[in-house]
Amino acid sequence: MGKVLIINYDICNGCYNCQVACKDEHVGNDWSPIAKPQPDTGQFWNKLHDNVRGQVPKVMITYEHSICQHCDDAPCIRSCSQDAIYKRDDGIVIINPDKCRGHQLCIEACPYENIIYYNEDLKIAQKCTFCAHLLDDGWEEPRCVDACPTGAMIFGDEDDPKIRDLIAKAEPLKPELTVKPRVYYIGLPKRFIAGALYDKEADECSESVKVTAANVDTGEKVTTETDSYGDFWLRGLAGGQYTLLFEKNGYLAQKFGPVDVTKRDINIGDVALWKS
Amino acid sequence: MAEDRARNSKSGEKTLIRDISFCGVPENGSNASMVDVKDGKIIRIRPMHYDWKYDPEKDMNPWKFDVRGSTFEPSMKTLIPPYSIAYKKRVYSPARVRFPMKRVDFDPGGAPGSTGPGGRNTQNRGKSKYVRISWDEALDIISKEMNRLKETYGPTCLLYQCDQHGENKVVQACHGAGRKLLPLWGGYTLQIRQPDSWEGWWWGSKHFWGCEPVGQGKQSNLLLDVAENCELLLFWGCDQETTPWGWQGQLPSRLSYWYSELGIKQIYVCPDLNYAAAVHADRWIPVLPNTDAALYLAITYVWFKDGTYDKDYLKTHAVGVETYEAYVMGEEDGVAKTPEWAATRCGVSARVIKALAREWASKRTSVVIGNGGPGIRGPYATEPARLQNICLAMQGLGKPGVNQVKMIEWGLFDFPDQYAQPKPLRVPNLRKAYTGGHPSDKNDPSLPKTLVPKAILEGSCDWWGCESETAPREDQFIHRFYPAEGASKIHAVWTDSPSWITCWNGGNDYVRAMQHPDIEFMWAQHPWLENDALLADIILPVNTKLEEDDIAADIFSGQYNLLYPENKCVEPLGESFSDYEIVCMLADKLGLLEEYTGSKSIPELIKYGWETSRCADLISWEELKDKGYFVVPTADGWEKEPRGFQKFYEDPKNNPLTTPTGLLEFESTGLKEHFPDDKERPPVPKWIPSGITHQETLETERGKKYTLLVISNHPRWSVHSQHEDITWLREIPTCKIKGPDGYQYHPVWLHPSTAAERGIADGDVVSIYNDRGTVLAAAYVTERIMPGVIYIDHGAKWDPIVPGEIDRGGAINTIVPRNVTSKNAVGHAVSGFLAEIEKTDLDELKRKYPDAFNRPFNPTAGPGLDAVMAGGEE
Repeated sequence: MGKVLIINYDICNGCYNCQVACKDEHVGNDWSPIAKPQPDTGQFWNKLHDNVRGQVPKVMITYEHSICQHCDDAPCIRSCSQDAIYKRDDGIVIINPDKCRGHQLCIEACPYENIIYYNEDLKIAQKCTFCAHLLDDGWEEPRCVDACPTGAMIFGDEDDPKIRDLIAKAEPLKPELTVKPRVYYIGLPKRFIAGALYDKEADECSESVKVTAANVDTGEKVTTETDSYGDFWLRGLAGGQYTLLFEKNGYLAQKFGPVDVTKRDINIGDVALWKS
Repeated sequence: MAEDRARNSKSGEKTLIRDISFCGVPENGSNASMVDVKDGKIIRIRPMHYDWKYDPEKDMNPWKFDVRGSTFEPSMKTLIPPYSIAYKKRVYSPARVRFPMKRVDFDPGGAPGSTGPGGRNTQNRGKSKYVRISWDEALDIISKEMNRLKETYGPTCLLYQCDQHGENKVVQACHGAGRKLLPLWGGYTLQIRQPDSWEGWWWGSKHFWGCEPVGQGKQSNLLLDVAENCELLLFWGCDQETTPWGWQGQLPSRLSYWYSELGIKQIYVCPDLNYAAAVHADRWIPVLPNTDAALYLAITYVWFKDGTYDKDYLKTHAVGVETYEAYVMGEEDGVAKTPEWAATRCGVSARVIKALAREWASKRTSVVIGNGGPGIRGPYATEPARLQNICLAMQGLGKPGVNQVKMIEWGLFDFPDQYAQPKPLRVPNLRKAYTGGHPSDKNDPSLPKTLVPKAILEGSCDWWGCESETAPREDQFIHRFYPAEGASKIHAVWTDSPSWITCWNGGNDYVRAMQHPDIEFMWAQHPWLENDALLADIILPVNTKLEEDDIAADIFSGQYNLLYPENKCVEPLGESFSDYEIVCMLADKLGLLEEYTGSKSIPELIKYGWETSRCADLISWEELKDKGYFVVPTADGWEKEPRGFQKFYEDPKNNPLTTPTGLLEFESTGLKEHFPDDKERPPVPKWIPSGITHQETLETERGKKYTLLVISNHPRWSVHSQHEDITWLREIPTCKIKGPDGYQYHPVWLHPSTAAERGIADGDVVSIYNDRGTVLAAAYVTERIMPGVIYIDHGAKWDPIVPGEIDRGGAINTIVPRNVTSKNAVGHAVSGFLAEIEKTDLDELKRKYPDAFNRPFNPTAGPGLDAVMAGGEE
């Protein structure tokens, strides 16, 4: 009957309701023994980040969420010298504000970013509680989920079949870790390469051009076709370098690249094709 | 019965339902929220759950769209925006006015125009500090000044500014509570607001397709029509992830995701990757600001050339097509409006224009608009508006899937034509219990809001139309003058909507006008010390809506309509009262209280609201009070309501438009008759790069000096000027950016290339300037804006370094064009204009203006009350 949170990036519109509702719940309200007040600004138990991807005009935003993963094998619990951090029966990890002595070992131990904050005024470490004080009071979900307008945040019981179906479509934020997080993600950003092809002599967009991207290291190939604007988007790529090949009947085949998407998504811009 | 969402008794909290939306017009309420309170304190604000006290199946007649194998249902909760959730920060803001205040160097005993000790010192408005005074003293000064001015000049010397947006209130109306008092007192001059978010359609489209009085297309049942029939949606300068928030919440967001799920392609045409394009766009077509007219013309050129438009439809539904075609094909002026011609003007390549024209012609396409945005409130906005309509007409406007669809204000002003969502059994309406001013109000004399500075600074002016914000097309042919015959010039200003500077046309001119010695007295009433309030001689403290009892209707959400009495959540802060209560106190001073109130108390007015709400037969007063709210069931047969222009499409003869011919007028009959020689709004819409009214394009001389085009939409993190002090929003990077001096500057978006050319780095404090002044901002260097264009939200809180010249707060409207839409159209033109930008030498500015930079500010909430209190008192 453990609680889980599923965050779907594909339908997160970036309204920041979750971040703001968290503040509304926890700033200026003392929910001891679950949590003491959050500082007014600068700390976020549920933090959004605008990941602006690509270059004009092939640009999109993925809104990324940092929130405590409520790990079943939580490094923060092990790290605490005061045994101030504990896991509830429902899976929620809580830093007991009365036991915390502000050593900040948990902040060091947490393998995720922007999760645990040190409250300078109260001299304690603080983080998301899944609003356990509300759940204990009969609520079905934490404030951030109640405030979400699009259904991008879903909270529930891991035994609920609907939740299980969602988990099946989701993945952990850092699959390489073995900490058994209770937060799952749908739509974690992979890399894209985009561009536009055109017939320079005719000054027309080139539709139905076959675009093939080959990973320089693995040789793995991905293909797509341009639309009526000559646009192509190769999505879901792993990081790395790719060479591109543009092919269309009646036109000279053309190589492009390599394009390096190790660190960012790339719009290669407008590329001219020539009749053969 | 659904689960009781009011929390169990353990918490000891009480849940109150409040409308936390910001249109400020009684028909336009929304964003119903649950406010949990305990021990006189607001604990939290959260979405309202419809099923708290009602069974959806039994009580609400739930609607759904079943289309293309997919189902869309409204949410069981309201989809409120972040500033509704964060509203307690606004209630407890450090900028709250907590007691009446007087400008320290204003002496009401001083002669008009007097300066120095004992003088009125109008020249110091915007510079002076304030001292606390008592309510008695404040009301005494105001009533004596009113009567003195009336005796000297007559009552029309008082300009009442009571429009614009604000908290949605009914009995405690936030704007215009004096509208019923001033006629009893003798009269006044009314400032008339024009439709600042849809200028082009108002001043342009009405001459094309009528659609009174809004000017935008008919909306009835279009949300369903899009789902069933559209293949392509062109979001033209529309940001449904921003503009609708304060009005109606976030159903447009959910709907946009669903339209994508249905396979409906979404293309966004705008200079910026706005918040909707960032998450919904299949393609973004960046277009240079205010050049959309060229793009539309080239699209129709391709259609004329290829014959890919609905010729038969035009024969029966339109007039003047030949004249338009002659202009497009170059027969009139020798210049064919080809894609190549347009490309050099609008920044979209000819090949993309051709591809767009072909795709549009080959697919069932609607144009989606959302008010505001880059394309409809610029110089000559009438032209892109009408040309957009022409494009729709050429593809058979009104055909299933071919309409102009609004993503905002579904149900505007109670007009049936504006109801895009499934209709409710009744639309609750609280107009009868409303104590404030309304967009349909008229008065003789009146003055367009856009001309207030000109009238005061130049002493006279004239204009056409603008009788009210809901005046019909014909009103645009009536000539009006200031001062009106038999009326006084303006010598006093009363504002309860002090946001002119940061929302209207040429805020720096407004500052100079208010500093003019002719304006002998100015008073403001407002909950927060912000913007124009900083110019007033007397400032009266108003409470926020969470401190008042009222009644509300939520009709804009697109989900379910609600009616609910509103109970006070917390006690009024400091010495504040509601606007209505303040006007009652003033009426009392003037000896007009009984006449003003009609002897109705506030509780009586609230109950009267229910009685006249159209829902009194659906729920008793007792049950309404007991449950706390009423959900209006969806009307049976809502699916059968006609869709947009459907009836006109099917039978134009029997369903004529309100144009003189009853048809779509490619060449406007009315404009041809009344303004045949108007080069700036000609009978046939045209590409107008510049004219006598505006020189705001890169092709002009000014474009050589100010080389960037500025766009400014309604803000993401505030509603016009509202919410600028919410700390939880100000820490979001697209809301504010902290400068090296610890001050949170308003972000301006620059493309990396635009920034690099000027040696500007991300986060730098920069000066945006032109011949109308300078505005400081912080550089937000991003791929979300096309090169050569800068983007800045309007509505930032004015924080003058030199009032009328330099602003630190980022109020871009201080330097937007002062001139109106065009020669004969008095809209405002506040986006798509020229400016330059450079890195600011902050140290140099601080040396030059030490007083301004030494004013205290709250590092996370911005300027507060202590910035202007003499001796820093609070």
